[in-house]
Amino acid sequence: MLKNAVNGLENLLMNEIPAGSVILVNGAEGTLKSGLVFSMLSNHIKVTGEHGLYVSLEQTKASHQQNMDSLGIKKVDGLHIFDYQDMREEWIDRELDFVKMTEEVIDFYKNKYGNLKVFALDSLNALYSLSDDVHLRNKMYHFFLSLREEGLTTFLIMESPQSRLPGQFTEWHQSERFLADGTIELGRVEGNGVVKRYIQILKMRSTRHAMEKHQIVIDENGLNILGPIY
Amino acid sequence: MNRSIDKIPELCESHEDYCKKFIERIIKTNREVFILSSLLEKQMCGYDLIKDIFTKCDVFLSQGTVYPILYTLEDEGLLMAEYSKGDMRSKKYSLTPKGREIAEKDIEEFTNALLQISFLIKR
Repeated sequence: MLKNAVNGLENLLMNEIPAGSVILVNGAEGTLKSGLVFSMLSNHIKVTGEHGLYVSLEQTKASHQQNMDSLGIKKVDGLHIFDYQDMREEWIDRELDFVKMTEEVIDFYKNKYGNLKVFALDSLNALYSLSDDVHLRNKMYHFFLSLREEGLTTFLIMESPQSRLPGQFTEWHQSERFLADGTIELGRVEGNGVVKRYIQILKMRSTRHAMEKHQIVIDENGLNILGPIY
Repeated sequence: MNRSIDKIPELCESHEDYCKKFIERIIKTNREVFILSSLLEKQMCGYDLIKDIFTKCDVFLSQGTVYPILYTLEDEGLLMAEYSKGDMRSKKYSLTPKGREIAEKDIEEFTNALLQISFLIKR
């Protein structure tokens, strides 16, 4: 159902993303990463009746919700948003293990609702900047494994500089690319004085997909993916 | 088993540890009841709740297991949250009338269940 979760996405994904896939959603600021993922989760849950969890490390639940409302993306009841704002404020003197806490939060919602099937983390960059752990890489490897084993289809949002060349990743991003089952890139292209946003699926294991960059636009009804950009 | 007198303090200690483990397991699998019970006394933020349960029961409930409970109980209308005056950093939770009713009922059922278990196990 995820392949039909955003209008036009079915032209990029020929078959369904397997349950339990871990997908990186990568792009510069303002390329609609959060909007795309939230929209996919919300629309998927609306059709399937499953539950989903969106963990925001950057924004509060209220500000994320406000942001999504402004994009015309509606939240459904089965989609739960969790933020770390209160914890960060109240435990300011303590070092918090955000990977472990995120696993606990997932467990809580899984036990509470039973059919928690989709999960998003916004963003990996924030998780890294909040963690001093020297074993973080190892932890992330096990985190990816546990998400897959639990059959939770996962979207990990990663912000990368706009200037980087397509297909190039930093050292951190490089290891995540190998671990992930899929990579969706969002970006901007400029030509003739016009800036267009695009979506490109770089990799999606066990799924036939288009390789071209497709234009992504936003209107009062949310996100729409149009035809190839070139 | 041959038990010498000098082993008794050690045995008592291990018995205590064993007992503590059971208590810890019971509290961790019934976090919601303990959170509601603490909130019956006064309004608290997540930090205060974790500290309160640790002080009373010597059990540390991790942040990732307490805050989601607070948020869902708030969504379900059992708790209300407000920032305390002069401190916009900590959100204090208190029971709504509906929450108080459910908390009292849950605590009673929980203590009854523990009593029944102790009777069953002594048979």
